[in-house]
Amino acid sequence: MTPRRMILVWLALLLLFGANLAGAYYLPLGNANIALALGIAVLQIALVVALFMKLRWAASLMRVCAAAGLFWLLVMIGLMTTDYLTRTAFPPSFLAPVK
Amino acid sequence: MTAELLRPHEQFRDLSQQREVATLGIWVFLASEMLFFGGMWAAYYVYRLAYPAAFRAAASRTEITIGAINTAILLTSAFVMSLADHVATARLGRRWLILCLTATLLLGLTFLGLKGLEYSHDYAKHLVPGVNFSFPGPLAGPAELFWVLYFAMTGIHMVHLLAGLGLVLSLIIMAARGRFDTGYSAPVEIVGLYWHFVDLVWILLFAILYLPGRAP
Repeated sequence: MTPRRMILVWLALLLLFGANLAGAYYLPLGNANIALALGIAVLQIALVVALFMKLRWAASLMRVCAAAGLFWLLVMIGLMTTDYLTRTAFPPSFLAPVK
Repeated sequence: MTAELLRPHEQFRDLSQQREVATLGIWVFLASEMLFFGGMWAAYYVYRLAYPAAFRAAASRTEITIGAINTAILLTSAFVMSLADHVATARLGRRWLILCLTATLLLGLTFLGLKGLEYSHDYAKHLVPGVNFSFPGPLAGPAELFWVLYFAMTGIHMVHLLAGLGLVLSLIIMAARGRFDTGYSAPVEIVGLYWHFVDLVWILLFAILYLPGRAP
């Protein structure tokens, strides 16, 4: 990647960062605000991983490694979700109840 | 002399294989790091699901000005680190490499300084669980959970950043001694990958720790 394109990636990252701040302050979406924030963060992370970390040009072996990390992370969070989203008593009783 | 320096280690067929093995090593490490941080992200996810209002109220007390400046600093340091990798690979000279690496180091140190300042503000605002914590209203319990996660996540991120600073410093010393003059640049790339990973962890932390609860 040429330095000129690196500058463009850097500016794109700053722009997305600004968009994330603006969205958090000016879009009252309630619980969906975190989804917006995470969505923009994932875009930023994709830029960093693909371009700054050069995964776009990397050998398949590196891509498989990166994908495996993501895959097992999703397995961990996904399987955990099957527990917490299907509980009938949640938050669990050992925590102080909140009105 | 140059040809002498650029011979691969004896277990490798050629230099490109040696380089690939080094890059593979750091990617395996980063994949495991992702799961290491993943445990905390999962904990955040579960408690956020249980106490959305408390997490929003607690997150709105974080020092977003310092957090935002630090985010911009880390994004910039990622750019400068990429530049360093480019300089090393394209052999644009020792002076430029040291300049880029020193800029990365200084940006990282600024981040740490601001983070320390932020922690002291958090302490003054009684937001440190177990040491000095008080939160108004009925959401105090779950809000404390948020702050436990805040300190665990930003603290462990900070430790990673410290390690990164040590690595960048060693790169600067290697560069000053002329280790990268021959076009041998694998350490710069490897440390760069680690640095970018620490950066992307922060991008995520900023989204989940600082931004919630800001909208009217």
